[in-house]
Amino acid sequence: MIKSIKVALLAIVALAFTATAYADFTFVSWGGAYTMSQQKAYIDTWGPVKSGKTKVKVENYNGGLGEVKAQVESGNVKWDVVDGLPVDMINGCDEGLFEKLDMHTWEGGKYNASIKENGAGASGPLSECSAPQIFWTYVVIFDPKAFPGKKPKRMKDFFDVEKFPGKRGVHTWPQAVLEMALVADGVKPTKVNSVLQGEGGTDRAFAKLEDLKGHVVHWSAGAQPLELVSSGEVVMSIVYNGRAGAAILSEGASFDYIWEGQVLDGDWVAIPKGSKNKAEAIEFLKHATSCESQAEQAKYITYMPMRDCGTKIIKANEPWFHTGVDVLPHMPNTKRRLKKSVFTDPVWWADNNAELKEQWTAWMAGNK
Amino acid sequence: MSETAKTQILTTDGIPLKVSLKKSERKNKIRAFALVLPLLLFLIITFIFPIFSMLARSIDDKQINTVFPKTFEIYKKWDQSQLPSEEMYATLFNEVITADGRQIGKASTRMNYSKSGWKSLIKKSKRQFKKIKEGPYKEKMIAIDKRWANIEFWKALGQMVDPVTMGYYLNAVDLTYDSNKKIIRQPEKRRVYNSTWWLTFEISVLVTLFCLVLGYPISYLLATLPLKFSNLLMICVLLPFWTSLLVRTVSWIIILMQKGIFNSILVWAGIIADENRMQLIYNKTGTLIAMTQILLPFMVLPLYSVMKTISPSYMRAALNLGAQPMHAFYRIYMPQTIPGISAGGLLVFVLAIGYFITPELVGGSEGLLIGHFIAFHLKSSLNWGLCSALGAILLAVMLVLYWVYNKIVGIENIKLG
Repeated sequence: MIKSIKVALLAIVALAFTATAYADFTFVSWGGAYTMSQQKAYIDTWGPVKSGKTKVKVENYNGGLGEVKAQVESGNVKWDVVDGLPVDMINGCDEGLFEKLDMHTWEGGKYNASIKENGAGASGPLSECSAPQIFWTYVVIFDPKAFPGKKPKRMKDFFDVEKFPGKRGVHTWPQAVLEMALVADGVKPTKVNSVLQGEGGTDRAFAKLEDLKGHVVHWSAGAQPLELVSSGEVVMSIVYNGRAGAAILSEGASFDYIWEGQVLDGDWVAIPKGSKNKAEAIEFLKHATSCESQAEQAKYITYMPMRDCGTKIIKANEPWFHTGVDVLPHMPNTKRRLKKSVFTDPVWWADNNAELKEQWTAWMAGNK
Repeated sequence: MSETAKTQILTTDGIPLKVSLKKSERKNKIRAFALVLPLLLFLIITFIFPIFSMLARSIDDKQINTVFPKTFEIYKKWDQSQLPSEEMYATLFNEVITADGRQIGKASTRMNYSKSGWKSLIKKSKRQFKKIKEGPYKEKMIAIDKRWANIEFWKALGQMVDPVTMGYYLNAVDLTYDSNKKIIRQPEKRRVYNSTWWLTFEISVLVTLFCLVLGYPISYLLATLPLKFSNLLMICVLLPFWTSLLVRTVSWIIILMQKGIFNSILVWAGIIADENRMQLIYNKTGTLIAMTQILLPFMVLPLYSVMKTISPSYMRAALNLGAQPMHAFYRIYMPQTIPGISAGGLLVFVLAIGYFITPELVGGSEGLLIGHFIAFHLKSSLNWGLCSALGAILLAVMLVLYWVYNKIVGIENIKLG
C-alpha cells in the first residue's frame, strides 16, 4: 500500500518534469485587454499551439528596454518575443539587443511593401530587428454625462479649463502630450512634427501646458485613465484608444472621443538577441504578423493593423468585432481622422526622450 | 632563569606560551572560518560584488574611447573657438566607417546623453558615409547633415574625453560639465534631481515620524493587554501586513479619491459641501497616508518585542515613590523603549527612502521620488551610468545617516527583542 503510494507520487513528480520538456516559448507584452487580444489572435491560432506541440507562456511588462538589456548582457535570455514601442525598437536594434530579421525575404519578398506607413514618414519596416504590429493612438476621451451642456469637440477644449471645468488625466511621460499641446495652440496636425522639432517648438508646447496647471491627475498604467474617467475623478483623459474601444464595445462603457489631435504611435515585435528559441520565434513572428492575424486582433481590440492587407480584410468583412458590431468606426485610421492626426516621430523622440523627460518632470512637479 | 621568567612564560616543552596557545587555537579558528565561509561567499557574490559593479558603472566612460580613440587624441589639441580641422573630420569619418555596429550603437547612446541628436546623427552618417569615397571630408559630411557644422555638437564631445568620468554624479545633483570640463549648473528647465532628493528625504522623515506617533500606542497596548485581547490586536496588525502591497495601495485610492468612500461619508454627514470635496489623493497627503499605513507594522513589531521585555514593576515602583503617571512614563518607561524606537525608526526610514511604487500610484505629480528616476533610467533611457550614480548616492546617504545615528544613539542600542 505504502509502496504503491510512493510509486504514484514519484510518477506525478516525473510527469510534472516531462510537462516542461515541451519548448517553453515566452511572449512578452503589455497586459490587459491588449495582451488578451494578442493571445486570442496570434497565439491561440498558431499551428504548434493548436496541435499542443508548443506551450507559449505570456508575460507582462511595462515597456522599456531595461529587462531586455539585462538579459542580453548577462547572456541569460528568457524572453523569446517582445512587443515594444518604436522608440525602444530603434534603440534596441542600435545597441544590438535584438536579432536581425530578414523581413525582405518573407512572404515571397512582398512583405515589406505591405507596410505603407511605418510611423516615421516612410514605408517598410522601421528597423531591421522589428516586425510590424499595430498602430494605436493617444486619444482624449470623456464621459458625456459629465458635460450636460456643450460637449468638448476639439483638442483646445482639453486645454480649456474655464469652458470645461474639471481635472484632466495625463500620463507620466511627455510623448504625445507635447504634440497635443501644439495642436491646441493652433498648429495644423500635419505640421506639428516640423514645428515641434524646430526652433523653440518644445518651449511653445510647454508654454501651452501651463494652461493645465493644477488641473492634472497623472496616470502611469494603461487601465488607470479609464477608471479615472468612469469614477469621475477626472472629466477628460488621454488614454490608449484600444483600451477605451474595448471598454466601449465589450463592456458597454459610455465614453466619447475627441479625435482631433490624436497622436498615433506603433507597436512592433522583436526577438531579443540570444533567445534560445530563435527559429521558433521567427516562425511565430511570420504567423503573428501575417495579414490574417493582423485582421484577427481587431476582433478583440480597436487597434489598427500596420499592414494594409489586414485593413482590407476587415473592411471586406464588417461587422468584424467579436460582439458583432462594426469596428472601423472606432479605428483611428479612417481617412477623415487621419487628416486631423499626428504621427509621433520615434527617431526624434529616441534622441530627445531623456532630456525632455527632465523638463517634463520639472513641469509635473510644479503641477500641484 | 629569572630573565626568561621576566620576559616570557614558557611551557614545559620550552616553547613560549603565546606561540603554543596560538597553535592550539588556530585549529578552532580555521574550523570557525570554514563554517562561516559559505555565507561569506554568498554575501560577496550576491551583495558586495554587485554593489561594486554598480559603483564601477557610475564612473565608467570607456565606451567612447574604444570606438573613437584617434579622434579624441586630436580633440585634445583643438582650441574650440571654431569648427574643427579637416584632419579631425577625416579621422572621425574613418572611425565611423570602420566601427562595429553594436559598439557604435552604444557609443552613440552615450554621446546622446551629452547632446541630444548625436544618436540619430551617427546612425544616419554610418549609412550615408558609404557614399563618400574619398576626401576632403569636411564639406561632404556637412552636406550629408547640417549638424556636422554645428560647433555645439563637437564641443559636447569634450565631456567624454576621459575613460573615467564624474559626469553621472554631477547630473545626479543637477550639475554638468561644459565642454572644457568645468562644472556648471544644468539649465534651469532640466533641474529635477535636487528637488527630488529633498522630496524623498522629506517624505521619508515624515512617514517615520507618523509611524512612530501612531505605532507607539499600538505597541504599548499589544505589550500590556491580557493575552486574549492582545492576540486579537496582533492579528489586526499582521493581517494587513500579509496583504499584497498593490492591493493596499489601490484600496487607498478607492477610499481617498474625490468620489471615494471618505469624501462621500463626509458629504452625507453634511460636514463638507459636495463641491468642496477634499483632495486627499494624487498629492503629498495621499502619499503620506498610504505609506504610513503600509510601513506601520515595521514600527509596531520591533517596538512590541522590546516593550514585552520591560517588567511592569519598574512603573509600579516609580508610582510608588510618588511620581505622577506622565512623569514616571517619561522618565522610566520611555528610555527603556529607545532601542525599539531606534530599530523601528531605522527600518521604516530605510524602507521609505527606497519606496517608489506606492508614491507613484497615489502621489500624482508629487509622487515622483528618487526611486522613480532610478527605474526610469534603468528601463527607458538605458542610462545605466546615471542610474548607478543615483543608487550610489542613495547608498552613501544611508551610510552617513547610519554613522550619525551611531554617534548620537550608539548602535549597540538597537534591539529587535
